[in-house]
Amino acid sequence: MYNTRVRGVLIKGDKSYSQVSRDVLRPMDAPMPKWWYVTAFIAISAMIWGVWGFYNTITTGIGTWGLNNNVAWGWAIINFVWWIGIGHAGTAFSIFLLILRQKWRTSINRAAEAMTIFAVMAAGLFPLIHMGRIWDGFFIFPYWNTRGPLWDNFNSPLFWDVVAISTYFTASFVFWYIGMIPDFATIRETTVSKVKKKIYGAMSFGWLGNARSWLRFETAALLLGGLAAPLVVSVHSIVSMDFAVSVIPGWHTTIFPPYFVIGAIFSGFGMVLTLMIVLRKLYKFNDYVTDGHLDAIARILTFISLIMGSAYLIELFTAWYSGNEYELFTFMKNRVTGEYTFAYWSMLICNAIIPQFFWFKKIRKNITLVFIISIFINIGMWFERYVIVVTSLSRDFIPATWATYSPTWTELAVFSGTIGLFVMGVIAFFRWIPTIAISEVKSVLKETTTLKSFTDED
Amino acid sequence: MRTNILGVYDDEHDVMHAVDKLQEGGIVVADVFSPFPLHGIWDKLKQTTYLPYATFAYGLVGGIATFALLYWTSVINYPLKFGGKPLNTLSFIIIMFVLTILIGTVFTALTFFIRQKLYPGKEVEMPDVRTVDDKFVIVIEKPEDIDDVELRKIKSLLTETGAVEINESDVEYEA
Repeated sequence: MYNTRVRGVLIKGDKSYSQVSRDVLRPMDAPMPKWWYVTAFIAISAMIWGVWGFYNTITTGIGTWGLNNNVAWGWAIINFVWWIGIGHAGTAFSIFLLILRQKWRTSINRAAEAMTIFAVMAAGLFPLIHMGRIWDGFFIFPYWNTRGPLWDNFNSPLFWDVVAISTYFTASFVFWYIGMIPDFATIRETTVSKVKKKIYGAMSFGWLGNARSWLRFETAALLLGGLAAPLVVSVHSIVSMDFAVSVIPGWHTTIFPPYFVIGAIFSGFGMVLTLMIVLRKLYKFNDYVTDGHLDAIARILTFISLIMGSAYLIELFTAWYSGNEYELFTFMKNRVTGEYTFAYWSMLICNAIIPQFFWFKKIRKNITLVFIISIFINIGMWFERYVIVVTSLSRDFIPATWATYSPTWTELAVFSGTIGLFVMGVIAFFRWIPTIAISEVKSVLKETTTLKSFTDED
Repeated sequence: MRTNILGVYDDEHDVMHAVDKLQEGGIVVADVFSPFPLHGIWDKLKQTTYLPYATFAYGLVGGIATFALLYWTSVINYPLKFGGKPLNTLSFIIIMFVLTILIGTVFTALTFFIRQKLYPGKEVEMPDVRTVDDKFVIVIEKPEDIDDVELRKIKSLLTETGAVEINESDVEYEA
């Protein structure tokens, strides 16, 4: 028989319960730090530029973008899919790890869920302005109208997208907010500021924390988590169907749903890693977001990266094995080689090769390197969507209609605006919301050093 | 006015043990306040929730209602062929799947808020505010005509099981 530490200490520093509350709430009471103002200034500047892009798009039209008859989907869809992918981390973290009883998630899930909310908000803006006539946007709802009534085409992947994204946003938000109620009550009862007491008191919905309220809270959290878990799979499957149900070479493949879901979780975890490293650096949360946490995320990323690499190889194999010359052309002549080589190989290197460095413990322990690799993953996943959208559209069946695509300043402005929105949302979250789920961390505090005994029969 | 006896504890295991001991001694534990959910306390206090059944019902009704909407709009009210596909198609499953989840989520959350009487801006007074931070509190109702023997028994049991403080509170709250 031997003993093994199943997973190292979850929360370091042998903390007491009230120390957890104090540590997590400390940054909210501290004077506004300088980095906050600097980041907010940059983010708001980006947002203002983004508003210009929006204004340009809406008043003049989609013609302000670099799209043409062939490449009718450009940066807008690339960025939309990229943001939605990033938005998958919250649910993946809280819900998959909740179901798998991975207790280390407790220090990270609040921030991952916040990230989800802001990423989905950023994503939602793209289809909205891509409609062109945004004021007719309500046409998408199945309402009783005077045109027949002419209903939506319920078999259109674009309509599925609308339903899936709005459901995903609602479900993530509800789950996130309910999880925060006990923490708002903690602020309500511990703060000295009258204004804060009033605001967080209102947001805590009159939470008491007696046995029955915890019973219902836990049950509700499990139910909402259970309901949202299939969404992690379904949302990006539906997004992939935007492409897969078409007849465009490079899109018309059955691998798309799992490939997109895995890609989404990959980019989401990549962004979580980026943000958690920043958060723990800024707030000195090393005891809560320990090296063990970052190590666990890095290991998950290594595994997902292998799946990504396999998916890329399978795509190539299927193109060859299908004997379809259009498929073969798209993959071999237009991605692996050809005009878009740079984008394709950036994708492959960033997603399938660079994360493999996480196999080395030395690299996983070096937080700077981990941070840099997480940035590469974010970039690689953006290139993946670029490769999928642009290469397939720009070279279709008739060479006479071939066209190239490059973004305009308006598209750049819109994209930077959404980055500004995301960053602003995240730093507002850093400032005004407890960034770590206090009550959840307290519940695992005493279980941190579990020793598990194994016998030879195990 | 209702008065409660509050046994304040520092440790989650102590409080669980204390509830057992009090119940063995024939004392009714009215409630337990804690900074995080104490798993297993609900069995001891004989509390249950029917929320999962409600969620199931919402999902079922939501799924059926979604199918009814899709079928009625696409097949009955305005049948319109798209690309030669059948009017009543298997791909309805996708919208049904997602909307079942949406309806289930929204109504489960609403039921939770309504049953727990939680709403924005609700003001409450807690018997001991430290329970949102680091204290665990056992609440025992104290009738006005309680005799000294009974009171002493409660207090000694609380002390024996590791209560760090024993207080009384007049704060009324909805359990």
